[in-house]
Amino acid sequence: MKLGRRVRQGRHELHGLSGLYALDALTGLELDQFEHHLHRCPPCENEVRGFRETATRLAQAVAASPPLALRERVLTAASATRQLAPEVREMPRTPIRLAGHPWLPRLAVAVAAAAVTAAVALGVVQSSTQQQLSRARAENRSVAAVLAAPDARLTVRRTTDGGLATVVASPSRHALIISTAGLPALSGGKVYELWFVTGQTARRAGLLPAPAAGRTAPLLASGVQPGDAVALTVEPAGGTNHPTTTPIVSVPLSG
Amino acid sequence: MPEHEEDLGGLLTMVAQGDEAAFEAAYDRLARPVYGLIRKVLRDPAQSEEVAQEVLLEVWRTASRFDATRGSAMTWVMTIAHRRAVDRVRSVSAETQREQKVSSFSAVPPEGVAETVESRLDAERARRCLDALTELQRQSITLAYYGGYTYPEVASLLSTALGTIKTRVRDGLIRMRDCMGVSW
Repeated sequence: MKLGRRVRQGRHELHGLSGLYALDALTGLELDQFEHHLHRCPPCENEVRGFRETATRLAQAVAASPPLALRERVLTAASATRQLAPEVREMPRTPIRLAGHPWLPRLAVAVAAAAVTAAVALGVVQSSTQQQLSRARAENRSVAAVLAAPDARLTVRRTTDGGLATVVASPSRHALIISTAGLPALSGGKVYELWFVTGQTARRAGLLPAPAAGRTAPLLASGVQPGDAVALTVEPAGGTNHPTTTPIVSVPLSG
Repeated sequence: MPEHEEDLGGLLTMVAQGDEAAFEAAYDRLARPVYGLIRKVLRDPAQSEEVAQEVLLEVWRTASRFDATRGSAMTWVMTIAHRRAVDRVRSVSAETQREQKVSSFSAVPPEGVAETVESRLDAERARRCLDALTELQRQSITLAYYGGYTYPEVASLLSTALGTIKTRVRDGLIRMRDCMGVSW
């Protein structure tokens, strides 16, 4: 065993440890790091689950009868052993939680479903070439994946200029979807630009598409990092590298 | 999921409620796979019997923690069994214990007595899927799972880079999973 190997591993490398974890082949720091990662990575959890089911088949392939006396010993020991009480969970988790609007889950699902439908429709209508079509399809799959993520969280906020911004964010997928309704129409080629904001830094996250009937179609923005908020500003045509106006809305993405 | 799997999950629910008859039935379903896997990892029959007893008692004790939404009942048990087996391999006292207990094992029934046709077919399919892997995938998986070796130990035994083992194990498990039609 090489002792000098890297101590910290990137997220991507951690993900690759799922197989070794499922076979109980990880130890020490790597085991700790992967278990820490696992709680934040539903796709990894799923993969580990599938691998464990697979390993079970390998176990069954080597089944062998234990000594007959074991049965009596185990049954006797069981009757003299107190069992663990079940873990009682506080609340069942709903797939999409609403920040600040506990009465809205059904609306959330409706909005999510509408968002997918809109994305699919727009993808098909606006694409004239096969390449555009497959790009649109890939994007729609990503949109659907964010909406389906177990940690997806939906937030609806009114902007300071009026109108609503709807954000569905999934930290585990490092992505969010934003759509708006009723935002003021912009003149002179100006655009609504999206930013990921951490402290004083803002990273470009895309431009809202032009509105149709007062609504903008869902925009997928990837690259969300822990602690980010998402913000919208009004910028000159084509967008800028740094925000030049005060955000009209800002939504924290975690916690 | 095989048809008989449903029964085991139901049995565990009854076991969690303290039903000893259900535990007896669960024992009859679990004893062979649990003991077989532990024996494969530890090899020593006396130690294997001891660890199998711990595992089966653990099933009785913690049955309330089994959650059918997170995996099958058989996998819940086999995960406990494999962890206990590798814990035994990796514990510092393993060497001394192994030497003390070499000659103290009891009567074993003839192989195949409790084996159903169904489980024999499952086993055959698992073996065939294992054979369909590349040599390195198969060796990495069997050394880790059946051998109870750690990731660096597997890499060393196969004189292969750690990163390569990591990829081969994951790729191999994906192929196995698809080959066996695992639905999780």
